[in-house]
Amino acid sequence: MFARLMKNKSFIYWACQTGGWIAYGLSMLLYNFTSDQSFTRIKYERLITSMVFGFLFTVLLRQLIVKFRLHPPLSKIKWWLLLIVVLVISLFYSLSNSAFVELIHLYVPAQKITFEQRTLYNFISDGPIICAWASFYYLWQYIEINTNTEIDKIRLQGLVKDLELKTIKSHINPHFIFNALNSIRALVDENPESARTAITKLSNILRSSMQAESLEMAPMERELTIVKDYLALEKIRFEDRLNIEYDINANTLKQLVPPMMLQTLVENALKHGIGKLKSGGTVKITSRFTDAFLELIVENTGSLSDTINNDGFGVASTRNRLNLLYGKEAIFHLKAISDNLVEAKVCIPIAQNIENV
Amino acid sequence: MYTITALIVDDERLARLELRRMLQAFPNVEVVDEAANADEALEKIEQHNPDLLFLDIQMPSKTGFDLLAEIGKLPKVIFTTAYDEFAFKAFEVNAMDYLLKPIDPKRLAEAIGKVQEEIAKERIVVPASRGLLGENDMIFIKDGERCWFIRLGDVRLFESIGNYAKVFFGNNKPLILKSLNALEEKLDERFFFRANRKHIINLQCIEKIEPYFNGGLLIDLKGSGERIEISRRQTVRFKEMMSL
Repeated sequence: MFARLMKNKSFIYWACQTGGWIAYGLSMLLYNFTSDQSFTRIKYERLITSMVFGFLFTVLLRQLIVKFRLHPPLSKIKWWLLLIVVLVISLFYSLSNSAFVELIHLYVPAQKITFEQRTLYNFISDGPIICAWASFYYLWQYIEINTNTEIDKIRLQGLVKDLELKTIKSHINPHFIFNALNSIRALVDENPESARTAITKLSNILRSSMQAESLEMAPMERELTIVKDYLALEKIRFEDRLNIEYDINANTLKQLVPPMMLQTLVENALKHGIGKLKSGGTVKITSRFTDAFLELIVENTGSLSDTINNDGFGVASTRNRLNLLYGKEAIFHLKAISDNLVEAKVCIPIAQNIENV
Repeated sequence: MYTITALIVDDERLARLELRRMLQAFPNVEVVDEAANADEALEKIEQHNPDLLFLDIQMPSKTGFDLLAEIGKLPKVIFTTAYDEFAFKAFEVNAMDYLLKPIDPKRLAEAIGKVQEEIAKERIVVPASRGLLGENDMIFIKDGERCWFIRLGDVRLFESIGNYAKVFFGNNKPLILKSLNALEEKLDERFFFRANRKHIINLQCIEKIEPYFNGGLLIDLKGSGERIEISRRQTVRFKEMMSL
């Protein structure tokens, strides 16, 4: 119940507004007691008058702040406007206060001062109270707005992370699909049986890449099947220019890995490595355990300068994905291991995998 | 109906096979040969001098664009590509046709039809003499990532910069790796004149001629504000050529 009320902004405001002015009254009383002045009935009544008028005028002040939209962050002009509003309210506060005192004779006739004097005195003593009220109100709003933006920012970051993962995962190169279809069309005449197999493999890849969108993690076995289908199709296209080697530790097949990540690396190896070489080359895929890591390695014939110049998406997206999923726990590098051999290596912590199972 | 000779350039055997098979439907297109990469293609263009190239863009070591930039006098070109529509955005003048693989037979027929028309028109026009490049020949220029496919007659000026030549047309000034002497040998003298050591000008782009000191001439080129000096020695030749 109380918690729900605390969430209601207008309840908080009225509680603070009432509580604040009562606290003001109590502190004035305390001041009077400690300064050891005599306490007459008139002083009580005057204090209550000040509290009630103060309460009413700060309610009015809030209305004006809302009306003129004097919320943080303020422009230079709005700062001046806020200052004027506060001064005008202070002035009217002291005027009304003094007028009321004058009207119902809330003073000791012997010590009577003029109306102007009383107004000036009230303005000097109560003006700062209104200023303090405005500062507190402004500070409250400032903190509230900043907390809200902070929360929005965090929420947005989460959303961006989600979206990034989705778009990266669904990435399968359209160039590959059309080239594969083109080779299959040629095969229909030349070798109908292998054309049939190729269509099955292409369907598998397309289906898997669509499913990958809804998966956070996928077993290595599934990923390897996709890569094998993919390479079999590219083999049709490249013919003798492509050699394929696998070195897969059977125990790694149950491990969970980010979907389509191995596929992206293999695609890169073909696009920037083998595809650039007239006489083609070899792609080797290794999956093994080292210490606490699952290591996935894609090696290809070629040199790194070609790979880096034209890449962008594959490497950057792999790095981003690993960063989003594992933070600093995962390692990725792409480097030349000899003049004519490039290696892309991903190391994923095994512990993380078990947590996810 | 005359025969169009064609060369297929693609690094994939199956892609070449498929295109060859599709071209059987066009009896007047004769596929004279195939090439699996740009270097092979250069040799075979030299050898067969085909009317038409079917050219893949993505090939190992040199792209289709690189190949075109190395050919002097261009045959007709139809690009074949799987997914490189964006590559055509690089063209300043998008005058070449392209087919997306797998090729749609209808689009293939359209593209061949267009080529036939163009070739028919050109056979009426008197070609430039002795295999030289005349004003109506198309040239392909590649400078870094940018490519242009333009009529040679639109070039107003070639300027020598070391081993390179700067080609002036419209607002563009791309560099090509060719010496001015090599260019001079290839260009038809009736259209292009060697003004001095550094410049070859298009005679049809001359706006104004003024005498210059030392017995030379000063030429204003049309619309561009470039002023080119004709050296004393070349002025003699210029006057000879231009007089009745």
